[in-house]
This record gives sequence, structure tokens and C-alpha cells, in this order.
Amino acid sequence: MTPTYYLLLSALLFSIGAVGVLVRRNAIVVFMCIELMLNAVNLTLVTFSRINGKLDGQVMAFFVMVVAAAEVVVGLAIIMSIFRTRRSASVDDSNLLKY
Amino acid sequence: MVSTLWSNAVALAQQPPSPVQPIQPPSGPSELGSYLPIVILFVLAAAFAIFSVLLGPMVGPQRKNRAKTEAYECGIEPSPQPVIGGGRVPVAYYLTAMLFILFDIEMVFLYPFAVSADALGLFGLVEIFLFIATVGFAYAYVWRRGGLDWN
Amino acid sequence: MLATVLTAQPVPPADKLSAPAIDYGAIMPVLIVLGAACVGVLVEAFLPKHQRWPVQVVLSLATLAGAGIAMAVYLGDESTPKNGVITLAGTLAVDRPALFLWGTLLVLTLGALLLIADRSVEPGGAFVAEAAIRPGTIQDRAQVAGTGMQTEVFPLTLFALGGMMVFTSANDLLTMFIALEVLSLPLYLMCGLARRRRLLSQEAAVKYFLLGAFASAFFLYGLALLYGYAGSVKLADISNAAAGTDRSDALLFGGLGLLVVGLLFKASVGPFHTWTPDVYQGAPTPITAFMAACTKVAAFGGMLRVLQVGFESTSWEWRGVLWGVAIVSMVIGAVLGLTQTDVKRMIAYSSIAHAGFLLIGSIALTDQGLSGTLFYLLTYGFTTLAAFGVISLVRNADGEATHLSQWAGLAKRSPVTAAVFTFILLALAGIPLTSGFVGKFVIFSAALQDGMAPLVVIALIASAVAAFFYLRVIVLMYFSEPAADGPSVTVPGAFTTASITLGVIATLVLGVLPAFALDWAGSGTFAFQ
Repeated sequence: MTPTYYLLLSALLFSIGAVGVLVRRNAIVVFMCIELMLNAVNLTLVTFSRINGKLDGQVMAFFVMVVAAAEVVVGLAIIMSIFRTRRSASVDDSNLLKY
Repeated sequence: MVSTLWSNAVALAQQPPSPVQPIQPPSGPSELGSYLPIVILFVLAAAFAIFSVLLGPMVGPQRKNRAKTEAYECGIEPSPQPVIGGGRVPVAYYLTAMLFILFDIEMVFLYPFAVSADALGLFGLVEIFLFIATVGFAYAYVWRRGGLDWN
Repeated sequence: MLATVLTAQPVPPADKLSAPAIDYGAIMPVLIVLGAACVGVLVEAFLPKHQRWPVQVVLSLATLAGAGIAMAVYLGDESTPKNGVITLAGTLAVDRPALFLWGTLLVLTLGALLLIADRSVEPGGAFVAEAAIRPGTIQDRAQVAGTGMQTEVFPLTLFALGGMMVFTSANDLLTMFIALEVLSLPLYLMCGLARRRRLLSQEAAVKYFLLGAFASAFFLYGLALLYGYAGSVKLADISNAAAGTDRSDALLFGGLGLLVVGLLFKASVGPFHTWTPDVYQGAPTPITAFMAACTKVAAFGGMLRVLQVGFESTSWEWRGVLWGVAIVSMVIGAVLGLTQTDVKRMIAYSSIAHAGFLLIGSIALTDQGLSGTLFYLLTYGFTTLAAFGVISLVRNADGEATHLSQWAGLAKRSPVTAAVFTFILLALAGIPLTSGFVGKFVIFSAALQDGMAPLVVIALIASAVAAFFYLRVIVLMYFSEPAADGPSVTVPGAFTTASITLGVIATLVLGVLPAFALDWAGSGTFAFQ
């Protein structure tokens, strides 16, 4: 099995995540789609690490995981604070700021 | 069929050993045999679990009532949903989950460090302690500001 | 035969890895800032509530001073190499542009920190007493009237500053990504901490966070593709790989495209600007000042390094695209700025137009382009800092009065404030004798020398259109009757006064005597290794 398939798979996952961010309305689901994008990048990094025959791609994947975890914590804190006020996590309800 | 395998094995065994053997995955009956205790453990565990589950109804008294036959008996009340909380889990769970994620991810760096601690020497040790110290600052903050109180 | 068998030996005894060489003198400013941020967290943990504010203010100001002194000592040292050092195993490049940007960031953060620490304009400062209090409840009304404050803002500011400093000197893309997150995550949080209009503030934080995380995912995928292309994420290696490799160019340009989208988002350029007006309006004004001044500096500092070190050799492939982006950014900023009725949103659109000008400087891949962009960042930072400082002063009973109609006739109520704001708006418009004029002049002349005449023409038209909406505010302040129930201008305390004075004086001095700052900005180029 050639590594190219993994690259295609990760590109597909990344695109699914990106489309999800654009079309989904619940802030939590949008956020999960962003996490999917980050993990697709991890797959790309590990695959290129294998293709290049070096380990640094895998180490980068560690860093991405840590960043993703930190992002989860900050993001959930923000989304939860607005949810507690509005009783809704829909991004369509956030409409006070425009023009 | 078996006899040809056997003669091959004998022929192999009679060859002089090659000077350096590349590492091979464990194979053959002797290596598999070393997994035997684990298999036995699994069997014992499964047998105990099945035994306990079957034993209960057999020896215990059978007094059924309505509450007992409900699908879900313990933990958070499945219904009716409290109006005030919006039917959501209390916020303390969220806080604990969040802290778990943060401190759990520390392992991502500690494990590779532990594997190559020898090669990294004193410099690596100092660095990893600095890393733990920075996580420790966050821990001190959470602890002092009541993030670990469950109420 | 034997050799192949030997290479397949089980794990060889681990070799000692040599520790990377660290030039502590060069990275001392970053170490001081990040170390002090950690101390700030401990202060939050162990000091009682009433002691936190004074300790945090003193700690933060001392940190900025300490980092500045460390930088001055490093620069004054005879043994400091003129063309920069690359340290920490090749991850940080401390060269002249990086040091210039560090100095800029330190001074601008000082100004923003004074605004953050101010408690004279509003008792207790611009920040919420407890972020966990739900907006609209009785506790919320109590906290608006009280003097408490979430003092975590100070360590968060220092963390963001540390991230920005690393971002501008990162020599590989992974370091750049980590720095990007270190600077973004505190900003997301601080956006949601306004004392008043908390719903607006929280909404700004959610928008900024979701869009920011989306953009960093793009940056990261670009990083991964470039790693696949070059086998390394070091900028110099990517540049070398572009000269000769058998990998597909799709990886290179796909990677560069995604990477640049992430950077353009942070710099709030062109079509990637949608978050900017909302976040600028919703965030507490001191944080808006910090973001507008410092994030811009960091984002363009990183972009300059990526384009000049990593992708100069392939510039003829991507330059056309960035031409288009710069044009879109200037047009959006100038045209949509005309339609705004809120002062903070107007300055936000002005910042989008300015981002277009800065992008012109960034894609002029010459020494003049580099020094011009650095100088422009310095001047724009000071001016916008002072602008938001003044905006925080015009208030009514509900907090800041940012609607343009409320600014009518402001000169009659407070001539000094109106005069200061007029000067700032003229600087943003680029009128001679202000720093804005010199900044635009150096960038446009660099672009002309690099053969971008059409772009300069469009930029001049855009500045003329933008000047119109600045002038509209000036006319409104001087030639309208003040409304009867209009806002009053708060007399600022020492901190806010110092911050606005810093911004205004720098804007004036850089406009009249720009030579010394231009010399600093042009004193060296990026280290390539």
C-alpha cells in the first residue's frame, strides 16, 4: 500500500472538516470540525515522515496534539460562557455584531 | 504434509548457526508459549465474570418491583430533565474534563523523553523538569483558585 | 552481505545527543517575558484578591523594562554579530529585523498595558470582575458597579507578547505555529472579558476563536505540505528545496497558499478580514488597542520573514496573487469604512486598508521594502494605540459611546480630546508632518522601485477614499452641535494619559524626524541559514 493513499485520505478528512466548519451551525460541532482538520494534518505529517524516512514529522504531530488540547480548553471555555448566557450554542444566534 | 515440515525443520536445525541473526518477530510454539499465562488470565477473568453474573439470579431472592425493572437505575436521573440546568450535565464535569485533557497531554512529551532519557543526558533532564514546572504553575493556579473542589 | 546483516542489528546503544547551543544573551528578552508571565500565574494563585492588581501592574511594567534593558545590553555588546545569530538548534533567528520588531512590540505593549491597567476612566478597569458571572443577572449588575477585576489579564498579555516575539523571529514553521497559538489563545480569552456589554464581548470572543482556529488549521496544513515538499520545515531548507527537488510543485504552492491564508487572517488582510470589525468592536477597548497594534506587528513580521527567507526564489509564481489580495484589502477597507457608524468599526476598516498598504511593502522583496514595512508597522502601531486610548475616554452612563452620532460636537465639550483625535486621524490618513505620511512614502517608493507602479496608483486612490471618512469624523466633531444628552469626556488618570501621550508624541516625532527610526529599520536583513 503506497503512502499516497494516506495523503489522499488526510486531504479528504481536512476537506470534510473545512466544509463542516462552513455549513454547520452549532458552535461545538464547528469546533469538532476544526479538530478534525488538525488531526487530518497529523496524518499528513506522519505520512510524510514515513515517506521522508525521518522522525521529525512524528514529533511535529505531538506538538500539534498539544496545541489542539490547549485550543480545546480555551475554546470550550469561551463557547460555554456564551452558552450559559444564551442557552444556545448556535452560531446563528450570535448576531449582535454586524455592520 | 506434516512430515515434510518436520524434515525441513530438522534440516534447518542441523545447519550451523549463522554468525549474526537479524531480529525476528516471535514465532513458533516456544515463543507463543510465553503468552500462555496471559491467555489463562483472560480465561479466568471471563469465567469469573460469567460466573458472578449467573450466580446472582440463581441464589438471590427474586422480589421484583417497578423501580427495579426500569432500564437505568443509578447515576444521573435520566428524566425528567431539570428546567433550570437545561437538562445538561453539571459544570463541574466540564471543568474536570478540561483539566484532565491539559494534564493528560503532558504525557505526550514525558513518554518520548523517558524512552531516550539516556541519550539526552543532563540537558534533557533539566529541560523536562522546566517543562513539568510550567505545568506545575498551572496546577498551582487551579488548586488555589478552587478548580479542584467538587461542589 | 555481512554489512547488511550488521546494519539490521537490534537497537544500537543510544548515542549521546549533544545539547543544542543556546545564545542566552540573544533570547533573554523572550525568556524574561515568558518567565514573568509564569510568575504572574503564580501571583494569581497565591496572593489574596486585593493585592493582585498592584503586584501584577508592577510585575508587568518591570518585565517590559527588563526585557528592553536586556535587548539594549545585547545590542550594545561589541561581540554581537551584525547579521544576526540563529540559536536554539536553528529555531530562532535573532537578527536586526527581529530585534527591531521586538523593540516595537515591547514599546507598543507598554502603551497597551497602561490602558489595560487604567482604573481612572472606569472604576475597576475595563475588565469583568468574575468572568464566570452570567451577563444580565443581579451579580452582573453588582460587578459593573464594583471595583473588582479579573487580573489574569496581565499574565495573559505577557504570554501573548512572548508568543508575538517568538513569532517574529521563528526560523522554522513549527516554531512559528506554536508561537502563533501562544499569541492567539490569550487574545481569544481577553476578548471576552469586557466589564460592560458582556454579551457583545463574549460573542466577539466566540467569533474570533472559531475563525482563528479555522485559520490556524489552514496554516498547519500548509506546514505539513511544505514538510512533504522539502523534508524539513526550516525556511532556509524550503528555499533551497525549491531550487532543486523531484517533489511535485503542487506541494510547494499548495503549502505556501494555505500557509499564507493563515498569516493573512492574523494580519486581517483583504478577504480574510471578516472577524476584524466584530472583534474590534466587541472586545474591551484596551485589548482592541493591544490587538490592533501588536498583532499587526507580529503577523506582518512573520509574513515578511516567510516571504523573504523561505519563498524569495519562487516569488514570480506567487506575487501576482498577493497583488490581488493587497488590492482587495485596500478597496474593502476604504469603501466599507465609508459606511460605518461606529468609531471602533471605522478604525477596524481603516486597519484593513492599512493592512493592504503593509502587504504592498511585504511583497516588495527588496531591502527598501523590508525597512519600509518595519517602519510602517512602528508608526501604525503608535497611532492606532493612541486612537483606541482616546476612544475609551468618550463615555456616557452605559459605558463607551462609540456611535458616530454621539461624537457630534465633541470639540465644544472637550477641545483637547477633539484636537488629539484629529491629529491621530490625520496621521491615519497620511497627512505630511505625521508619521503616517512618512510610512506611506517609504512603502510606496519601495514598491515603485520594485516595479509595482499600478499597485501604488490603486493604493493612492484608496488612501484618498479612506481620508474622506477620517475627515468626516473631524467635521462631525468640529462643525456639529453637540446633542443635549450626549456623552461626556472622562478626564483620564495617569496611565491612560501616559499611553495616549506616548502614541501621539511618537506619531509626531516619527513624522518630523523619521531618519533615526528609518536607520534602525534598515540596519540589517533577515538571517538565512
